[in-house]
Amino acid sequence: MSYVTDNREGMQHLLMGNEAIARGALEAGVNVASGYPGTPSSEIIESLAKVAKERNLYVEWSANEKVALEVAAAASFSQLKSLCAMKQVGVNVASDFLLHLGLSGTRGGMVLVTCDDPGALSSSNEGPSRHYAQMFEIPLLEPGDFQEAKDMTKWAFEFSEEIKNVVMVRSVTRVSHASGNVRLGALPEMEVHADFRYEASAFNTDEGPAESVPVNEKHRLQQEKLQKAIKLFEQSPFNTYHGPEKPELLIITSSAGNLYAREAISLLGAEDRVGLLKLGTTWPLPPMLLTRYLSKTDTIMIVEEVLPFLENNIKILAAENAREIGMKTFYSKHEGTIPTTGELNPDIVVSALSKILKIDYGAMDSGYEKVLQMTTIAQVPERARTFCPGCPHRASFWSIHNALQMDNRRGFVCGDIGCYAMGRFSCGFNTTKTLHAMGSGAGLASGFGKLAQFGMDQPVVTVCGDSTFFHAAVPALVNAVHHNANITLIILDNSGTAMTGFQSHPGLSVNAMGDEVPEVDIAKVCQGIGAKVEIRDPFDLEETRATLNQLMDDSQGVKVLILRRECALSPERRYTKQYEMHVNESLCLGEDCGCNRLCTRIFQCPGLIWDKENNKARIDEALCVGCGVCSSICPAGAIERKEVA
Amino acid sequence: MGGKDKIRGQKELQQTVLDAGLCTGCGACIDLCPYFKSYKGRTAILFPCTLTQGRCFAYCPKVEVDLDDLSQKFFGRRYTSDPLGSYRTIMISRAGKKIERAGFQAGGTVSALIYFAMKRGYLDGAVLTDRDGLLPVPRFITNPEDVFTCASSKYTAAPTLSALNQGIRDGFKHLGIVATPCQALATALMRSNPLGDEEFVDPTGLVVGLLCTWALDFRSFEKFISKRLDITRIVKMDIPPPPADKMELYMGNGEIVEIPLDEVRQWVPKGCSYCIDMTAEFSDISIGVLEGRPDMNTLIARTERGQRIVEEARKEGYLIISDIPKRNLDHLRWAAGNKKRRAFAKARQQNMVNTLEEEGASYLRLHAETLERVTA
Repeated sequence: MSYVTDNREGMQHLLMGNEAIARGALEAGVNVASGYPGTPSSEIIESLAKVAKERNLYVEWSANEKVALEVAAAASFSQLKSLCAMKQVGVNVASDFLLHLGLSGTRGGMVLVTCDDPGALSSSNEGPSRHYAQMFEIPLLEPGDFQEAKDMTKWAFEFSEEIKNVVMVRSVTRVSHASGNVRLGALPEMEVHADFRYEASAFNTDEGPAESVPVNEKHRLQQEKLQKAIKLFEQSPFNTYHGPEKPELLIITSSAGNLYAREAISLLGAEDRVGLLKLGTTWPLPPMLLTRYLSKTDTIMIVEEVLPFLENNIKILAAENAREIGMKTFYSKHEGTIPTTGELNPDIVVSALSKILKIDYGAMDSGYEKVLQMTTIAQVPERARTFCPGCPHRASFWSIHNALQMDNRRGFVCGDIGCYAMGRFSCGFNTTKTLHAMGSGAGLASGFGKLAQFGMDQPVVTVCGDSTFFHAAVPALVNAVHHNANITLIILDNSGTAMTGFQSHPGLSVNAMGDEVPEVDIAKVCQGIGAKVEIRDPFDLEETRATLNQLMDDSQGVKVLILRRECALSPERRYTKQYEMHVNESLCLGEDCGCNRLCTRIFQCPGLIWDKENNKARIDEALCVGCGVCSSICPAGAIERKEVA
Repeated sequence: MGGKDKIRGQKELQQTVLDAGLCTGCGACIDLCPYFKSYKGRTAILFPCTLTQGRCFAYCPKVEVDLDDLSQKFFGRRYTSDPLGSYRTIMISRAGKKIERAGFQAGGTVSALIYFAMKRGYLDGAVLTDRDGLLPVPRFITNPEDVFTCASSKYTAAPTLSALNQGIRDGFKHLGIVATPCQALATALMRSNPLGDEEFVDPTGLVVGLLCTWALDFRSFEKFISKRLDITRIVKMDIPPPPADKMELYMGNGEIVEIPLDEVRQWVPKGCSYCIDMTAEFSDISIGVLEGRPDMNTLIARTERGQRIVEEARKEGYLIISDIPKRNLDHLRWAAGNKKRRAFAKARQQNMVNTLEEEGASYLRLHAETLERVTA
């Protein structure tokens, strides 16, 4: 039994924020959950998928976030409760549908969970998702701790059913991926019957067609729902205040900012001077609640991550109510106290707070800090970002890099989102030259591939993973084929959504719940679209290189090269070794070879190391996974491989 | 010679030769190490190498070539002012009775010489240039009969010397090489043991140089020509001696497509325009076409071993030799002199020729006195 289905009400478990969100959905009686993997959101769907059979849920990893939101909406339209989870960038993908969904409204409780990544710890951006709630006029909730992550998610379903619209719950890395004690509620007994009612008129949002039109009527209705939300928010227990009746300074915060602010106040011992208003309902803001607290003091600090979202809306309220609450001094992003990029942490809040309150707070003696830093630097080995030992991407990029160098026409690779985004680093031989959204590599390539008319003679190559292919590269490939763009799309097919933890995707024969499902054949899809398709094993470096050179020489239309090899960490390859690797010391010439340590200086597999004392290459037995690739890069043939019986 | 201390590594080679557009794709640097590769006639660097000295730099015919020093080593004297380089005899020739084959570009002298030298055991392997479609490719042979599959001129640059590097690595001791002038120069640099390897032994048995005014950049030429015709149908290429002024492409069906040389010349790489050597001056024997006699070759014997092999081949019926008419010799010297003068002028104008006292990146290096003499 998983912790998330422990049915003993009142039990406390240490739950990860994402597990708490999943538990909240289960306590609400969720029926359908969908999503697309993406750090820091993936564990929500994973937790629900694990208990899908036990709780009679339908859970899927959808092809992309827009489809995921549509899948979840279909359940809501059929009077089921549904949850859809994604990372911040996913909301961009889903946004077109989300805009229309806000207008059409929902029926069964529907919650969209977005997990933002301030500081871009696992993302190619730190884009905000909260602004979507405001822009698309749907309510937004932000849990400020782990218990709230559970409780708020559960309530979000009731709330959604009350206002008949989708509710957005926004988490961040430090809520989703940290863990805390969560007191469990009861799991409901569920009896549901899915039925989509469409017989009534277009104006009947419960029993008529589910549509965003007629827009005037639906838009007006949507805004009424927001007014209802404000009424509920004025009374919400998720908005809390701790501190004196008349504080010198009022901190207004939400989400992880709550944790940092609490810690900062406690570190400075400023509990008697500072009030902390933690908002859980952050859009639309409850104006009466805000004016009540803004009246307590004239000095306000707003603690939130990345862009000013609370700040802007609070300032509007403060301006509108200035006659009543008086003039305020704001310490925030606009005047520079709180940074507008990167993650916050308690230090940033402490330093801001101590300045405002004029509390002398030496966080750390500077001499001690120096010693600490030096000790750390001395003891922690330097680790560059790199591909795992045995990773097919290293082999693929080796061949792609060499093919481009040999081609000698300044060809380039448009990168995409996945582990292979590291193709831009030295572990990928600095091969990729663009990096944007999922599928954008193929889209950009499609554009680059049409510039011959203006004199561009550089070969255009792009890479995408198997999951990314289904997510967003297919329309770009269709576009490239239809417009006869001269490009080569390389699909780095490692049989799974590897970067986020091997979630299933349409190319695999097992779904999120472990059921056998039809797999979609990438090669056939590409052929069907009209591309020339070649399939190679990336571990065969020379064959891969030669094939790519041939494809780049072919200036007619779209070529697809599928490089197929399972991820080194995949369940199928893990703990298996194809080869025993060994450096033949009589053949390795060390620094005298003239190869200038190609194996360890350039190829850089962590499983292959340079033995300075012996002046030879050496296999690191602890790290080598026996993929055998390095044996084909040594010019002296000194790296030998023996098939494991 | 500038000496070992003038030799640099990959970085300097890239700056002074590749980035400057001087590379002719001769193949001297290819396959010496994992970093240099050739693709469709062009030299590519796969990864940066941090070694401060390399054979890539030492063997390159486009950087720091000390002509006086090299001439001293091969001919026992400073670089000659004769536009034809140092030589023993000049004659005309064609393949003899022992070799009855079709498909030679002209008189078949190159094939005859390599075939003979291999048959007699003077060579244990030979480095030739074959063709894969229109693309010239290096070919290493150990069977004399394979010589004939590589016959005929290619006119586009090929990294032939990569096969020499491979042959040396495989332990061959007496290699025959058919080389363009830049390839013959690179081979001579290699044979001069520029890095002073104590175990060095000359791995060559015979260097046959080809008379050459330029070799086209394959990639550009392929693009140009494939707009006009189906390149897969080309079976032979020829540039008949002046005044024809055209390239002839022999198509499979007997058709001959003519392309004016002026149109072809636009694909001559920049590196060729700095080349001072039309007659492969640092080979054992140089061979070219003979004006007005499509069945014969011009043959320049330069070294003792070259002269000896020519003589033996003649005696044994592999080669037929006669005197060169004065008109042909005069014209040859005139043409070679023209190329040399133009190239020297261009190189000097761009500060690419150093006298012994001068420092800095250069293409050629000579005594000031020699320089005066050869450019007079």
